[in-house]
Amino acid sequence: MGHQRALIGFLTACVPEELLHAAGFDPVFIFPRPDECGRGRVHLPGFVCWIVTSALDQALGGELDQLAGLVLAKTCDATQGLADLWRRNVPHIPLFHFGMPSRLDGPAVKSYLAAELRDLRKRIQAHTGHPITDDELRESISWCNRQRALVREAYTHIATCSPPDFYATLRTMFKSRRLILPQPSPLPDAPRLILVGSALGDVVLFEILEQVGARVVGDLFDLGERYFEADAAEDGDPLEAIAQRLCTLLPTPTKYHSTKSRVQRLLELVRTRQAAGVIFARQKFCEPHGFDYVRLARALSQVGVPHLLLELEQTSQAGQLRTRVEAFMEVIGRV
Amino acid sequence: MSKYPRLASLKAISQVMTRYYAQRSVMARFRPVAYVTSGAPVEIMEAMGILTLYPENYGALCGAQRAAVALCEIAESTGYPADLCSYARSHLGAVLQPKRAPLRGLPRPDLLVCCTNICGTVLKWYEALADFYGVPLFVLDVPFQRATPPEPHIVAYVADQLRELTAWLQAHTGRRLKPERLQKTLQYAREAVSLWQEILAFGQHRPSPINAPDLFVAMAPVVTLRGTRRAVECYRRLKAELEARVAQGIGAVPGERYRLLWDNIAIWYRLYRFFRPFMDAGACFVADTYTNAWTVALDVDEPFTGMALAYTGVFINLDLATRLRIIADLARRFQVDGVVMHANRSCKPFSITQYEIRDALREELGLPVLIIEADMTDARLYNEGAVQERVAAFLESLG
Repeated sequence: MGHQRALIGFLTACVPEELLHAAGFDPVFIFPRPDECGRGRVHLPGFVCWIVTSALDQALGGELDQLAGLVLAKTCDATQGLADLWRRNVPHIPLFHFGMPSRLDGPAVKSYLAAELRDLRKRIQAHTGHPITDDELRESISWCNRQRALVREAYTHIATCSPPDFYATLRTMFKSRRLILPQPSPLPDAPRLILVGSALGDVVLFEILEQVGARVVGDLFDLGERYFEADAAEDGDPLEAIAQRLCTLLPTPTKYHSTKSRVQRLLELVRTRQAAGVIFARQKFCEPHGFDYVRLARALSQVGVPHLLLELEQTSQAGQLRTRVEAFMEVIGRV
Repeated sequence: MSKYPRLASLKAISQVMTRYYAQRSVMARFRPVAYVTSGAPVEIMEAMGILTLYPENYGALCGAQRAAVALCEIAESTGYPADLCSYARSHLGAVLQPKRAPLRGLPRPDLLVCCTNICGTVLKWYEALADFYGVPLFVLDVPFQRATPPEPHIVAYVADQLRELTAWLQAHTGRRLKPERLQKTLQYAREAVSLWQEILAFGQHRPSPINAPDLFVAMAPVVTLRGTRRAVECYRRLKAELEARVAQGIGAVPGERYRLLWDNIAIWYRLYRFFRPFMDAGACFVADTYTNAWTVALDVDEPFTGMALAYTGVFINLDLATRLRIIADLARRFQVDGVVMHANRSCKPFSITQYEIRDALREELGLPVLIIEADMTDARLYNEGAVQERVAAFLESLG
């Protein structure tokens, strides 16, 4: 399998990929493009992030016409707004909204999430005209689990890879569902960094990190390490297994869990990976990561870990970013 | 000022709100205080005798008193990016330095209740408050209402959480929710909401006895005192005053020439000043989308399902097609001649689809639409010159 499958797009880190795969699609993530997004800007106020603006822009430019649909999960306010804009402006690419809960614990969430998954399954079945059987769901869970295991394996080598190569691997995986492991290029004395941000950060940033001779040893990207940390069970009710996985992952900043703490996870990453510093790669106008930055940065400062906040836009000024990263490297060098 | 006589009941409402804040700060010493979001099911807490306070209302107050910019700067100096919601930045600034804030900040909360039916921002804001105060947080997760009426599993999810919230409140305060007390509170809430609907409907008169900035002042009790007798009293009085105005043919804008519709949250630091050139040109804002957010009726017989439906169906949580229907319906019923939309940097749920709404109103109803870029409380994002120019051009285009 794999050659003739239709593609279905998704845009947030809490979409049930297993269900989309079982429906006969290869789920692909819509990464933003580094351009002015003029067609998208016509429909959106200036204070919407690049990720959302670029997705709409690509759709309006016909660049996503190969997609059989787009799946948007409830995450942030900008993504929710995009669902509305999509229906009106991109009617030829059907939109499937997935009401991912904002709260991942509590007694009510499990049955709601299972019901919402059944609802999505019904809507996709109605669209394709093909039933999605439990056996197909289990096969797709197993397919996703195998990919996740490969990515987890890749992450064990992250510190020995150049940052642009490593993240190109992940982007390729999300775009073509193929995982091509990068060649290791160890840099023994390179400063070791953790990155935090939405989706998978920014290619420009990875190139700058390569230029300054740094290595990434872990991340808290929404589509990064955390996204692959848990598998869905291959036995039992498949939709419940998918729901269980979505609630098990470390929450992204748009989700609430009363005990799973992003602060603890970041501190643990810094400690276990022996990181020298943390770079926050925040998309400008991203509220969830903007608020989250303050809690995480405070915790890092309390334990004396240097950190840097970068704001990314569609036309990130590589020169400015580089100057700031270089200055940060000097700080790390002195600690 | 005598050119535009003020409604006496607005002064009474402002006094009620001043008293509300004063009383809350005294009563907070011997009753539990919960901070709640503007779309939270306050009736449950009111019926349990838990004091509620609204950081969003406080943000608006900071904006109206022009204290918000300094408070936002305090929040920004501790790392909050300047592009985050300005209600949140104002309030967090007040939390960090209450001595520099209006009313010296709000009384400390014992509990936090955050309902996600209005935006995702409140989730992060309340997490920050939970960190700062070290008090328990309840997140009431309300899914987006993508179909009207909402699917049964969504209503069941919200109703289940309302029951969970009740148990959580009981566990943390030792106070019980008595069914008869909840009934009484819901009845008051229902009455306040129904009076509020009647008040909004007065805008259909020609001339309209009430203008949007009046409603922005008048709305405070339906938000903060819903479920109390005081809110009902405030609105009975306002309604009577509006009836008298209609009987005498008195308009909020003497010589009303144009009838306009307002979209989005108020520009609090320019509350009357922004509207003055409109009033001078004989334009009255007879309807708006903002104060309409508190008009969802509550079912008293099925309290939990009723509240689940009401709090899921708030205006800002509805899909665009439904919101467009509501706005077009307002435009028709209130016979408006044009629309002014506030592209509010702080409020994505309200602002992100405004270009679509503008286009639909132009195409389907042939209405002129003006979009003003500003912010509800951060006055640094208000360009006085540019706004004046655009307003003047818009008023001229109305002919």
